[in-house]
Amino acid sequence: MNKDLEHKFVSELENNQNIVHKVCSLYTNDRDSHKDLFQEITIQLWKAYPKFRGDSKFSTWMYRVALNTAITLYRKSKKRVNTQDYESVIFKIKAEEYDETEEQQLKLMYKAVKQLGDIDKALVFLYLEDKDYSEISETLGISEVNARVKMNRIKNKLRNILNP
Amino acid sequence: MMDELDLLKKDWQSREKDLPKLSYDELYKMIWKKSSSIVKWIFLISVLEFVFWAAINLINYSKESRELEKEWHIQDLSTALTVINYAVLIYFIFRFYQNYKQITITDSSRKLMKSILKVKRTVTQYVWFNIGIFCVSLIMLLYGSLTYGEESAKIMEAAASAGNETLFWVMLIGLCVIIIGIILLLIWLFYRLLYGILLNRLRLNYAELKKLEF
Repeated sequence: MNKDLEHKFVSELENNQNIVHKVCSLYTNDRDSHKDLFQEITIQLWKAYPKFRGDSKFSTWMYRVALNTAITLYRKSKKRVNTQDYESVIFKIKAEEYDETEEQQLKLMYKAVKQLGDIDKALVFLYLEDKDYSEISETLGISEVNARVKMNRIKNKLRNILNP
Repeated sequence: MMDELDLLKKDWQSREKDLPKLSYDELYKMIWKKSSSIVKWIFLISVLEFVFWAAINLINYSKESRELEKEWHIQDLSTALTVINYAVLIYFIFRFYQNYKQITITDSSRKLMKSILKVKRTVTQYVWFNIGIFCVSLIMLLYGSLTYGEESAKIMEAAASAGNETLFWVMLIGLCVIIIGIILLLIWLFYRLLYGILLNRLRLNYAELKKLEF
């Protein structure tokens, strides 16, 4: 029985591991922390798995556990995005304003997202994953209206980071 | 901005293929590793704390101290204090257990953070209760030893012969207040450091979510 459960869990995790990797890439800045967070999320998923009733999709359930682990349980190392680097990149782009390529813009966007707080990151993540506001609100524990308000504020924040 | 975020969304989703891929065996090994999550640390710390204060209680309480209490006429007070102490301890054990049960990783982020912060609040209450009991006991012992202790008569006599009994008492009480103050400060600093580091980010995140409640 237990072996069955293990097998079922690991197979589902194997098929859906992208979700966990994506959360890790958003919440950590280097490979070691990525591995650490992935490990911690895996443990939390496995611990919570007996309570997973299958009333939602496995992937939906995974989003929630992975994000909750990243936001609340994971003890981040002190390493942060190097703001100095980041600022110099912006400056360079501003100087060459006329040949701003899409790729550079994306790079800046990713850096901007990485600078957001834990909660804002979670919202952006769910948005990028094409989740609707009802799922976002349920995962974070705020109302749908508030999720929309928050998302608008994040867009403003990102605008400010990109165009200081 | 909308366009830029949508651009990001497209790119984000196209990057899926670049993500690392772990094998079944690698993942299987991972599920048996030990967690290092905040909740685990908070529980370890609060259990250690519990054991620490309980041990202090037990060590302090030998047969000799019982005799001494009798001699100093503070036995009733001391017994009452012990009874209160253990009643409250049992209450806290119950609360710790309850809090522990309430923490579920599958709750919404806000609910999860709320339960973790509640654990911290319980621990804080527990610490203050212990500090309170500690102060009351100290004052009680001091009073007992000065009024009935063997040496006290001599001390009093010395104070009286020095001709300045009031000054003696003022200095004594002042000294006690300073000592208790220093001990409290140390304990407070210790807990601030301990839980401050563990929970600071969480507190900020929770405040962030709470701001949205209109």
